[in-house]
Amino acid sequence: MKRFWNPFHPRFYFPLALVVFLFILPTLPQKTFYQDLILMIFFWGTLAAAWNLVGGFAGQISLGHTAFFGIGAYTSTLLWLKFGLSPWLGMFAGAGLAILVAIGIGIPCFRLRSHFFALATIAFAEVLRHVASYWRGLTQGGVGLLIPFRPALGSFMFRGKLPYAYIALGMMLLIILVSYLIRHSRFGFYLVSLREDQDAAESLGVNTSRCKLIALIISVFFTAVVGTFYAQYLLFIDPDSVFSLPFSIELALLTIIGGLGTVIGPIIGSFILTPLDVLLRGWLGGISAGLNFIVYGIVLVVAVIYFPRGIAGWLRTWYEPLLNKLPGSKLALAPGETASSQPYTTRATNPGNPDPPDEQITAPLFKAQSLTKYFGGLAAVKDVSFEINQGEILGLIGPNGAGKTTIFNVITGFLSPDSGRIEFRGKEITGLKPPHKVCLTHIGRTFQLVKPFNNMTVLENIMVGTFSRVKGAPGARAEAIEVLDFIGLLRQRDSLASSLTIADRKRLELGRALATKPELLLLDEVVAGLNPRETEEIIKIIRAISQQGITLFIIEHVMKAIMTLSHRIIVLHHGEMIAEGTPEEISRDKRVIDAYLGEEYLA
Amino acid sequence: MIATLMQLIINGLLLGGIYALISIGLTLIFGVVEIINFAHGEFLMLSMYASFWLFQLYGVDPYLSLFMVIPAFFVIGWATQRIIIQPIIHAPPLNQIFATVGVSLVLQNAALFFWKADYRTVRTVYSTLSLKTGGLMISFPRLVAFVLALGIVAALLIFLKRTYTGKAIRALAQEKRAAMLMGIDIYRIYKVAFGIGIACVGAAGAILIPIYYAFPTVGGLFVLIAFVVVILGGYNSLVGALIGGLIIGVVEAFSGFFLSPHLKEAVYFVIFILILLLRPAGLFGRA
Repeated sequence: MKRFWNPFHPRFYFPLALVVFLFILPTLPQKTFYQDLILMIFFWGTLAAAWNLVGGFAGQISLGHTAFFGIGAYTSTLLWLKFGLSPWLGMFAGAGLAILVAIGIGIPCFRLRSHFFALATIAFAEVLRHVASYWRGLTQGGVGLLIPFRPALGSFMFRGKLPYAYIALGMMLLIILVSYLIRHSRFGFYLVSLREDQDAAESLGVNTSRCKLIALIISVFFTAVVGTFYAQYLLFIDPDSVFSLPFSIELALLTIIGGLGTVIGPIIGSFILTPLDVLLRGWLGGISAGLNFIVYGIVLVVAVIYFPRGIAGWLRTWYEPLLNKLPGSKLALAPGETASSQPYTTRATNPGNPDPPDEQITAPLFKAQSLTKYFGGLAAVKDVSFEINQGEILGLIGPNGAGKTTIFNVITGFLSPDSGRIEFRGKEITGLKPPHKVCLTHIGRTFQLVKPFNNMTVLENIMVGTFSRVKGAPGARAEAIEVLDFIGLLRQRDSLASSLTIADRKRLELGRALATKPELLLLDEVVAGLNPRETEEIIKIIRAISQQGITLFIIEHVMKAIMTLSHRIIVLHHGEMIAEGTPEEISRDKRVIDAYLGEEYLA
Repeated sequence: MIATLMQLIINGLLLGGIYALISIGLTLIFGVVEIINFAHGEFLMLSMYASFWLFQLYGVDPYLSLFMVIPAFFVIGWATQRIIIQPIIHAPPLNQIFATVGVSLVLQNAALFFWKADYRTVRTVYSTLSLKTGGLMISFPRLVAFVLALGIVAALLIFLKRTYTGKAIRALAQEKRAAMLMGIDIYRIYKVAFGIGIACVGAAGAILIPIYYAFPTVGGLFVLIAFVVVILGGYNSLVGALIGGLIIGVVEAFSGFFLSPHLKEAVYFVIFILILLLRPAGLFGRA
């Protein structure tokens, strides 16, 4: 999809005008004080935008970005001082080293819950500061490194501030572009989805560990490069200035004030807070050191308590109307931006999809043999074996705590079985982990407690699912619209998932799993908590899914639903399978009546 | 050599007692309120200054100042929970992290503004007193610090075991919803837990000031240790924090002697990463 097709449309020329303005900006002031200020806005904007890739998009809060900044600054500076290597090259050496370190830190630490990730990154940055102070032979410790001023292009040193300002601007525009491209790509959707709910993202085929790591690498690259820039600009670095915790906090502050997880938010944050910071330092720093940080701290606390959305969220409410008032807004944006109107249902019979159930079946689609899972000493699932045939709807019932959801978790890679064997399409997938790998073998699932990506729209939620098959955003969007049509959520496509009713959230959950085009779909209590009319509608959808040839395995407590839907039912009690048969047989089974259904059900 | 090792172990354990006291406050807050208090070190810094000024201005002995500092810091902790944490108790982790980070920034720089970056300590008659037994030197104020720290920890554990409020705190740390259903006023318990957690660092500050210096960034040194202790002890185990504190004290004594005192932070971090890799639930935590 060509977003900026027509140069006379404000959507094109308005941002372009802003960029032109940014290029003119550094030449406007005469005083070096203001030139420096503008440069610092670009500098902090770049850093905050780099932080935002990890902290905003992926929701992994790093309080140790100063470490990567410092590694960049020290590497290029030492290479220049000791070997005369141009900082232009040293910059990339520093970035490379910072990336290696980031990978070493990221792999163990990304397993941590968010608070602990923040903790680990703080600790790491503190350690580097101490190492830089201690390793005098290399870094001259607390004395710091002084770079003799030798202005030349190759030595990355210039007379006057203008060249630095344009380098900083170049970096900032580059990171804006990178952020924009990420935000509108599959990778960006994946980052936001894992921030919103990691388990749900995994279940839709998102390799969350890899996505987090790639986001960190891109972020660290920019942070380290700006570190080199900083060293070349000030011509002096010491451990306390390039490895400081307040530095890391400042990046977060700019981003939060500007708008976390938005493309332009960190830049807006820098445009507002950097001048404020310079003024505060000017006014208050004269009275006493540290006073500006007191103001910063207060702003930070108030912002996260009362204005967590930042300025960008608020800006959006007048940006669109403004564009619509500008000349040219009535022009067409791009030629023919229409989604393929082929209904989703017709795709089910496309070649390549599973064979319809009435054909000759040689082997079952799915086979579980003697699955066992212990929690501590308790057997949650004990020696359970069953098969699911192609095109079948298999029901799974049993009292609460019988181990139903545990079976789902064992199949989909959220848990590893202690023993037993799982086969899907004749291939063993026992203990396949993490969950996204299971999704990519075409087993989909929903969660008992729905896990919508709250801060994404309904359409975007579904797109996370379609992205598992379609790489490009336009294709993923078109397919997602078909899914929305199918599950009856098309009207709500642009609402935030958090604003949906419980019934619509269940549909969304269903649609998202469906969007990955599974051959086997595991549904965990999709009608629980719905009223009879809503239940009817969901049952209709489930029937339609089945008619497309998708095999279903469903957990349900609502007997009317499970008895009418299922071809076959298995019953679990205390982790053991106590019965298997048609709904008819199950409802007469003595053990099932005793354990689960109760006497009234017969009557 | 044996004597040196014994001496190192004793030094480490004495230090570890204080680490345990600081870490238990952090663990309690994390276990109950489920946030990491990134301002924990700054509250410690504040209490060290409190004891310092009580001594400097009114001649109150640091150990005596415990009786003022503990209640005062309980109130401070209570108020922090009420004013800053309560509004974001259901917010995403990001907001919670930056709320306490912001508090830490404010406190640290307020200390810098009011009291400058000078290192301050109190000189009491017993500051340099030490006991000699069997070739071992035991610093008197360090011994007192150790005994007091363990005494306070023991009192806290008994409080949590015996009283209704204590039981409510433990219940909440285990299962929030069930605790709520049992009629526990969880918001009150949050405030109490935060108050107790901060009272613990308050006590630690008063105990520390005769043997250490107060300066605006002193909290950072101790809180890094406390974080490692909490990870080592297993996030929500108070006994784990106690033992973890002692272990880290001994590790510090040894790494200071055999490597370099300057590298102790690096040693902590290696421990930190190793635990995360090998035993993410900590030594005493539930997996």
